[in-house]
Amino acid sequence: MTSNASVSVDLLDSLLDIQPPTSLHAARHAREKVAAATQASQDLFFDPELANNLSLTERLWVAYYATYLTPQPLLSAHYLAQLQARGVSQRVRQSVEAGELDSLGDPRLAAILRFTRTLIESPVNGDQQALQALQQEGLSTEEIVVLAQLIAFLSYQVRLAAGLDALRSAGAAQ
Amino acid sequence: MSDVIRDHGFTNEVLGWKAWLPTVDLASASAAQVAVLEESHPQAKTSDYYLTLAHHPDILRQRSQAFNAIMYAPGGLSRAERELASTVVSRVNRCVYCASVHAQRFEQLAKRNDVIRELFADPATAGTNAREKAIVRFSIDLTLEPASVNASHIQALREHGLDDGQVLDLIHAISIFAWANRLMLNLGEPVFPDA
Repeated sequence: MTSNASVSVDLLDSLLDIQPPTSLHAARHAREKVAAATQASQDLFFDPELANNLSLTERLWVAYYATYLTPQPLLSAHYLAQLQARGVSQRVRQSVEAGELDSLGDPRLAAILRFTRTLIESPVNGDQQALQALQQEGLSTEEIVVLAQLIAFLSYQVRLAAGLDALRSAGAAQ
Repeated sequence: MSDVIRDHGFTNEVLGWKAWLPTVDLASASAAQVAVLEESHPQAKTSDYYLTLAHHPDILRQRSQAFNAIMYAPGGLSRAERELASTVVSRVNRCVYCASVHAQRFEQLAKRNDVIRELFADPATAGTNAREKAIVRFSIDLTLEPASVNASHIQALREHGLDDGQVLDLIHAISIFAWANRLMLNLGEPVFPDA
């Protein structure tokens, strides 16, 4: 549920240092419904209590890998910090960064990250067999829908962050 | 559609879409699932797409709110230019279904399809005037190379008359189609009228 949305900070404003009274802050929050739905999505996708679904650690690996591949350094640093706070191993991180997913020793996570790579790098190549590979690792229909939504959301988030960062670099219009 | 365009596997004809995963059965759907379908789209209850996404109603709700706020909010970038950007992204990501829907919406709003014809033929050179070319170019760059986008891209848009509110609307329209294309491409497939 979104009960924590009203108290959470806006991740993109925070990472990109978009603060009042800048014109960029004003422009972004003139589209408040977009900013609010973006942050509410963030809160939902990384809700520790997302029931009967991908674990939070799995979702954070998806987010880290997606933003690492793009690359979007501010977001990948954010998701890596979340993973490190959960005590993930350096060995797993190195395997993920190298794309050596078979060496993770976790076929379910490897399948999830393989699907992530396909959707981030070449979404047209994600076919029905790609879903079957997830089903073979025991992912339920609901888990696959959440995984696809999560990767698709991250594809949105990295571009929004890149666009906002470019606007910030450009400074106020003359 | 008075004027059918078919090029490189893309079309402005009305297509269907079928899910690869089992869809939510309306007869046994939860109240939360029914509610989110009713608020997402007028035809959501008979759409394989929405009936797939309704497996997780809260996530669908936020996606629909973001999508509708980006594509339909008044002011800022014209709705036709938002639809143009959506069609460019869908063409570049090779989402034939999304490209068809948003090519039709562009034509409904702009009362022309000349740029759609150019876009289906070759996105890199599409655009019937300098402002349109700048919007198309930025849509391609943010889609394919988000890490390369910088202040010079913003300056190019400003030089073609976009204010920063319009640039932000454009960034939103491009980004939400990174999201939409992946759902449409990866959870099902288009159904062609002849099939």
